[in-house]
Amino acid sequence: MDTPLLDIHDLSIGLRGDGVGYDIVRNVSMSLFPTEILAIVGESGCGKSLTALSVLALHASPPLHVTSGSIMYDGRDLTKVSASQMRALRGAEIAMVFQDPMSALDPMFTAGTLLTSAVQAHYKVRYDVAKNRALEALADAGIEDPRRRFAEYPFQLSGGMAQRVMIALALVNDPKILIADEPTTALDVTVQAQILDRLKQLKAERGMSIILITHNLGVVASVADRMVVMYAGEVVESGTVEEVLATPQHPYTNGLLGAVPRLNSDATLVPIMGRVPQPNDLPPGCSFADRCGRVLDVCRAERPQLAVRRNSEVRCYNPVG
Amino acid sequence: MNRFRRALKNKQLVIGSIIALVIVVLGIFGPAIFGDYAKQDLLRGHKPLGTSGAFFGTDALGRSLAARATFGIRISLLVAISVTGLAMVLGTIIGLIAGYVKGVIDGVISLLIDFIWGFPLILVAVLAAASIGSGLLPVIFAVGLVNTVAIARVVRGEVLGISEKDFVVAAKAGGYSTMRIITKHIAPNVIPVALVLSSYYVAVAIIAEAALSFVGLGAQPPLPSLGQMVSEGRNYMRLNHWESTIPGVIIFAMVLSVSLIGDGLRDLLDPRLRTALERARVK
Amino acid sequence: MRSLLKTVVLTLLLLLASSFAVFAGIRLSGGDVTAARLPASATAADRQLFRHQMGLDQPIFKQYSTYMGDLFRGDLGNSLTNNAKISALAVDKIKNSLILGATSMLLVFGIGIPLGMIASLKRNSWVDTGITSASVAGMAVPNFWLALIAIYLFSTRLGWLPSAGQGGIKYLVLPAFVLSAEGIALTVRMTRSAMLDNLNQDFVRTLRAAGLSERRIYFKHVLRNSMLPIISLAGLRVGQIVGYALVVETIFGWPGVGQILVNAVLRRDYPVVQFFALLLVLVVTLGNLAASIGYTLANPKLRK
Repeated sequence: MDTPLLDIHDLSIGLRGDGVGYDIVRNVSMSLFPTEILAIVGESGCGKSLTALSVLALHASPPLHVTSGSIMYDGRDLTKVSASQMRALRGAEIAMVFQDPMSALDPMFTAGTLLTSAVQAHYKVRYDVAKNRALEALADAGIEDPRRRFAEYPFQLSGGMAQRVMIALALVNDPKILIADEPTTALDVTVQAQILDRLKQLKAERGMSIILITHNLGVVASVADRMVVMYAGEVVESGTVEEVLATPQHPYTNGLLGAVPRLNSDATLVPIMGRVPQPNDLPPGCSFADRCGRVLDVCRAERPQLAVRRNSEVRCYNPVG
Repeated sequence: MNRFRRALKNKQLVIGSIIALVIVVLGIFGPAIFGDYAKQDLLRGHKPLGTSGAFFGTDALGRSLAARATFGIRISLLVAISVTGLAMVLGTIIGLIAGYVKGVIDGVISLLIDFIWGFPLILVAVLAAASIGSGLLPVIFAVGLVNTVAIARVVRGEVLGISEKDFVVAAKAGGYSTMRIITKHIAPNVIPVALVLSSYYVAVAIIAEAALSFVGLGAQPPLPSLGQMVSEGRNYMRLNHWESTIPGVIIFAMVLSVSLIGDGLRDLLDPRLRTALERARVK
Repeated sequence: MRSLLKTVVLTLLLLLASSFAVFAGIRLSGGDVTAARLPASATAADRQLFRHQMGLDQPIFKQYSTYMGDLFRGDLGNSLTNNAKISALAVDKIKNSLILGATSMLLVFGIGIPLGMIASLKRNSWVDTGITSASVAGMAVPNFWLALIAIYLFSTRLGWLPSAGQGGIKYLVLPAFVLSAEGIALTVRMTRSAMLDNLNQDFVRTLRAAGLSERRIYFKHVLRNSMLPIISLAGLRVGQIVGYALVVETIFGWPGVGQILVNAVLRRDYPVVQFFALLLVLVVTLGNLAASIGYTLANPKLRK
């Protein structure tokens, strides 16, 4: 395999201040390789968005801080670069698309103004040059009449259109990596499919590398190459999409798949019983132990480590299969 | 109990309440303790604070500042609290009707509300004084009108927001009567806002009464009022500044205590209501 | 845009109605309008004759239309107390009040907005605490009392500034600051909370992710969003300044509309009251109208 484009290693992010201190994201490692779509999967609150935000140092700091680990990109550790270096990276090298497009666009400016300021934030170019790039980016994001959308305010756009504008905003400076945080959750199913297709085309046509954060395994199956499953702030399983979805090894992944409705199967849905432990009240052993049907004594005593098993990595003493 | 404990932890609320308590006690018992506010003794005028027989000293006519100031507190509080209380009830009802009924009735009410709301209390009071003559009556009219409108405006906005909420829509779909929906589902959500807002408007009313009396259009002599005392006292600032300072400090303390109580109550409300209040407090 | 036109038309109608209400209120205010002009020994018949000659016994709508007609011809009537032509007084009074009012508006927003921005930038630091506490106090001090403290301190004690009267910028300093104090406090509070509120909006994160500098995000995007409520505030502030000017002009002996109106009310000089009262109603209404037009134009959602 190639060398990774982005390499997150042993990353922990904690809440610090006012006498409290606990980690929300714990010892997360994952790699993004050139020209691939990596999905991060998990329930809300599992730390997947926070992990992604920390790549561009967009997490709310304070009170959240990176407490250990590194995020390597292009020979630099992104957890240690200065604020101005980070600003230069944002949008130009690594771009991000957020969940709710309606609130994520500044209501006081047109799509065009947002796009051209993003260009001019990185390059000293004249307005008409910036405008041309903006129009190209709108077209790249799958917008049919870029000139019209360029002049429109966010409130004039539909949800799907606003999300395309946000994708255009991410593409306008031609970044190498795109991080999409639940980009389709707020959208209708038909629009969702169009947006996902667009992401696949960006990978194929531009050779982009994409991190896709989602809680929807259907989305993962249709677009991603590899996937990372997160639970209670840590990675519990990672591997290729085929491998993980066909033969899940971690009981949590297995449970997630059991909770997905399928058209071609009569199997009843099996919910995962119990609740996710809170990050300030984690058990000493495996964080999934209380909800796990395969729990052993060792699971409650000691936290399992991520280990290679078959072609995947699993954090479990008693994996499935 | 939990709510009470939270209230005790709220410094603004506690400090504001303590100041308010002292002032209310002064207003209730002061006039009885300090004697006749109108009793003159021209030979004992301009006595400073701490003079024996007149706790806060005396004014130009030798009248007890303590007696006059405490009576002034009584008038100020009576006007501010009773009129704002009335305004709260009226304003809440008008706001509930306008916000719930919508349509033409709401259009007319909110047009009037917005128009009147733009007018400053003091100008309304001066115009009222020009029409019905100086005294407490124009102050009462102006405070009542402007505060009713101010409260109705916020309540209406809140009701508009709440009546879109699922629980109200569900109640409507369930066939509950309009009266029941308003009293059981909507009113409990807007009344806390109206209450906190009213505490701010008590402050506005206190200031307006004092300002009107200060320029001579409010309470008329021999009835004492704090604003009037400040005004009379300012002619003798060098001789005995207490004549002006004492009523001035009392007005400041009254306004501050009511504002602190308002801020404290606001913090006990849920955050969504706080933004509604912040928007309402632009005057 | 259509709703804006509707607002303008309705506001003008309400202005007409309220001007009539104010006019009628003053005209119908009982018999003692004659007290300003006639001696106490005047008989009831004398008073009746006076009222007749002044046209006060005519139907109120007739009086209103006569008055408005005269007003548009530039005849504002005469003062009852000194017989001076009101039109002759008005120009100076209006000019003086405009100077004081405009200076106060400038101070309110010229000081309030930057201080609010600083407080929001330095959130929870001692700078923020200082600015916020000062603004709480600023809103609690009644301005007539602030005026007395300021006079006592800066003119009686320190002798830096004159306590009353008019002429030169020295005379403007105290009344303008006293008149704007509460507005500054409120503007600081509003600006600070609007800036903090907008800084927490999702769009800020999007702009950061696009690589915009913090300065640009703060001064262009967050500021522009935060100025919307400030525009409404400005309209209301015109009204508040008009209201407080009645008191502040009286204290500082500033020969403006506020002072003459209060004095005329005290003396029951109804022609003077009438003109200046209508003038202030007009100013307040136009201030609010300007703010709602401004708000519509500044908000893309309403403008389109």
